[in-house]
This record gives sequence, C-alpha cells and structure tokens, in this order.
Amino acid sequence: MIDVRNLSKYYGSRCAVDRISFTVGERTIVGFLGPNGAGKTTTIRILTGYMPPTSGTATVAGYDVLTQSLAVRSVVGYLPEAVPLYPEMRVREYLKFRGKLRGLDRSQREAAIARVVERCWLREAVDRPIGQLSRGYRQRVGLADALLHNPKVLILDEPTVGLDPAQVRETRGLLRELASDHPILFSSHTLSEVEAICHRIIIIHEGRLIAAGTVDELKAQTAGQRRLHAVLKAPAADVAEAVCKVPGIKDVRTTANGDWTRVDAAAAGEALEPLAGLAAARGWAVRELHQELPSLEDFFVKAVLAARAARPQ
Amino acid sequence: MRHTLAIAQRELLSLFCSPVGYIVLAGFWLVTGAIAIWNAEAFGPGKPATLRDIFMWAPFVLTLVVPAMTMRALSEEYRSGTFETLMTAPVSDAAVVLGKYLATLGFYGVLLVGTLIYPLLMEVFGNPDWGEVLATYLGLALVGVAFAAYSLFASSLTRDQAVAWMLGAMPLMLLVLSVYNLVRQFEGWQREVLAQLNIMGRFAQFARGQVETDAVVFFLAIAALFLFLTVKVVESRRWR
Repeated sequence: MIDVRNLSKYYGSRCAVDRISFTVGERTIVGFLGPNGAGKTTTIRILTGYMPPTSGTATVAGYDVLTQSLAVRSVVGYLPEAVPLYPEMRVREYLKFRGKLRGLDRSQREAAIARVVERCWLREAVDRPIGQLSRGYRQRVGLADALLHNPKVLILDEPTVGLDPAQVRETRGLLRELASDHPILFSSHTLSEVEAICHRIIIIHEGRLIAAGTVDELKAQTAGQRRLHAVLKAPAADVAEAVCKVPGIKDVRTTANGDWTRVDAAAAGEALEPLAGLAAARGWAVRELHQELPSLEDFFVKAVLAARAARPQ
Repeated sequence: MRHTLAIAQRELLSLFCSPVGYIVLAGFWLVTGAIAIWNAEAFGPGKPATLRDIFMWAPFVLTLVVPAMTMRALSEEYRSGTFETLMTAPVSDAAVVLGKYLATLGFYGVLLVGTLIYPLLMEVFGNPDWGEVLATYLGLALVGVAFAAYSLFASSLTRDQAVAWMLGAMPLMLLVLSVYNLVRQFEGWQREVLAQLNIMGRFAQFARGQVETDAVVFFLAIAALFLFLTVKVVESRRWR
C-alpha cells in the first residue's frame, strides 16, 4: 500500500532523508523507528503529501505523492506529531469541518462522525471546546479526524507520546483493531511499543535506513549476543570443562561459591535445553538456569552504534 | 469551491470566537463615531447630508484595522501546526487562501454594516443623496478588498501574529499617509504617478459620488496581485 523508493529530502544543503526504500503491505502495522531527528517526520510528511521529496518516488495506495498529491491526501488518514487542533472549536464542529474538507456530504458526515466518536471513545467530549480537553482527549480527536473518511492507509506520527499508561494501552488496542482494515505506518521511539504491536519494523538513523524486517528477524540478528547464566552444584573445573563442549556455547566463565558453581557464557541460539540435559546426565543439581531474551532494544542500540561507526567523518 | 466555503466558514467562526474580532469591530466603530462627532457639522442644520466628512479618514483607519482582521489567518495556522493538518487534507493551496480571504471579506462586511447607522440617521434628519452613499460604500468595499488581500499576504509570511499585523499595517499606513501628503508637493509626471497611488484621493472620489473605472480596476488589481502572491508563499513550503 505504501511503496517508497530511493526517497531523499534535502532542506537547503542539509540532508534529512537519504535514499530510503521500504514498503508497507496490506493489513500490517509497520513501526517506523529512529532516534530524534532521524528523519521520521520528514518521511511521513512526504508520504502525506505535505511536501514533495527532493528525489526518489513514493506511492501511497497506488498514487504518486508528487504528481497525485490530492489523491494521496484523500486516501491517507494522518495524525501529525503534536496533534494540532483549533482550540476555539468544539469537537463536533471540528469533525464536521474536517468532513467537509474530505468532501463528505451531510449524511455521510453525520454517519462518519458517529462512527469515529464511538470508535475513539469521544462521546463525553464531543460537545466540549477542544481547548479545554486533556492531552489524551486531544489525541483521540486527532485520531478520530484521521479515521473520518475511512482512509486506505493510516499514518501516525508518535501517536502515544504524552498519554498516560492506561491511554497508551487503549491506543495500542485500537491500533491493533484498526490494522484489520487499514495498513498502519506509525513512528515512535518507544521500542517496547513497537515490539508490542508491530508486524514489521523499519529503523532509520540520520536519514538512512539501517534495518528493516519483522520483530523476530531483527531479534534473531542479535541472537549471537545472548547471555546464558546458570548455577549448578558441581566443582567449578568439571563444569567449565563440560559446558565448553556444549555446541554453540563459548566464552565460558565459572565462579565457585561453596558447593555451587556459577556459569556465565555467551550462547548462539537456544542453549537452555542442552545445558539442562547435561546437568541431568551428570546428576548436578540446578538452582538457576536462564538465558537473556534478545530484545529489540539491543538490536536498536547496536544498529544505531554500527551506523554511527560506519559514517564517514 | 465547497472546500473554500468550509474554510471560510471556519475562519469566520474563529474570528467571532476570538477577542481580536470584537476589538476590531469596536475599535473601528469607535473611531468612525469619534470622527463623526468631531466633524459635527456633518449633522449641523443647513449642512449637506453627506458621509464625506465621516469617512474621510476611513482609509487611514482601515490600514490599522484590516491587518488586525487577517493577522491570525495564516500565522496562527503555522504557529499551532494546524497548517499541516490543513495541507494534508485534499484541499488545494488556492482554496485555503481564498477561503481565508472570503472570511475576511465577510467580517469586513459586518464591520461596514455597522456604519450604516450614519446614512440612516441622515435619512431621518435630512435628505442624503443615496447615489453618493452607495458610491461611498463601494469605495469602502474596494479599499477593504485591496487591504485584506495585502494583509493576508503579510500573514502568510510569518508565524507570529504581532509581526503579521505590523507587516500588514506599517507599509499600508506609510503608503496611505505619505502619498496623500506628497501628492501636493510635486508637479508634472511625478504628481501623475503619485495620484495613481493616492488611496485617500481615490477614496475621496468615491465619497463625492464619482465612480471611476480606473479606481475600481486599481483596487481589484491590488487584491488579485496579493492573493496570487499569498498562494505562492503558501506553495513555497514545497520547494523551500
């Protein structure tokens, strides 16, 4: 639904986005990750038709963002980062106004407003002036606006920033629900959030795409770094010798502590089962045995550091 | 067209929701009222029932008032970020500018309607020349049409309302006052050129009941030029 090829954007001579390419398919939630200032908002503004790219192409639902900007804008639902709204308008007035801009006639508009008010839990707020609403409600109004015209694609710029934990959870639930009808591209720098709801992840840094894939694929790339910890009832020398022989385990360090021996090692892939098997075969008692799960955070930090190191200075 | 009207409607609502709108209305009515009293001869016994003295300084007052009407129009959208939501809706840049412009003219219409009290009073106490009254209002309308376009252009240049007002009011005031004073100091071709730009003088013609085609074209051309430039400034985000 979104197809980005070699997209670049320069502000004057400063490069904000540097030849990035990615796609967003049907019924997927794609997380768009990157540190602050990485070019996320710029990319999103290009995809929503707010400004054109310097070079490269991008199509949204088959429409080119440069040559068919109005068509792109009519199929995209967009929630900008700071959720800009008119404080003097009431929620219903605002949604009516947006509906008119979207070309909905009166009856379509009424139906659409009823639908999004229900969907975004806005019923109590619908007749209040926007200026009096809390941050959480404002976010919902922005989301309601983005959903008003039943968009083919949803693009959300940091949709959960500034919400309290309960609201974050509600919003995530809503996004999951929405993904069954609309593909969603959303930017964030909260890794746990991306991990929790996205099918695919795109990471950019300093305008460049540094990684893309499913959550599991990206995690698998850090799997080599997984740490293994165990505490076994056996002499340290025996343990060191035996553990070294388990395939995939290296970098073994043992620390004796009375009858018990603490083992710290690096393991490529799943190593708990072979180690448990080894302990059982030797008749060692096991007090502790666990392997750190690969986290997206590890990957993210690693990818950003690698990109920084690779940057020609 | 539907988009333009939707934008105009929202803009009018926001003008009537903000204190600025009411201050502008009250300010203009107060100043014209003060001038009407100051020129009390306008209502003196035996004097001609004419609006000329009441509105003589209107172009000058409008240089301050009209930029205050438009100063929010685009600046506030830039500042609050609503410009982005507006420009990512399927609306053309021209529709946005035109919508804002129509709203300003609508508000200006309300402002003029409030001054109808003067010709009505004259009708009660005297016998005004309604042709002249009509010409005066046509002149006021045209001055507003031109000033509103220029002030909207000023608002498109900055995200700060106060700066937008100054960018609007100062050049207009300078033009209106300096040309009005300078035109008498020159002779020959210079005087001809200045007379073309003399907004006070052109308005005075209307106030005398004289509707000249070149004056109508002059004001409409200014409006067209600055509306065009405003659209270009709004578009400039695409190539900056």
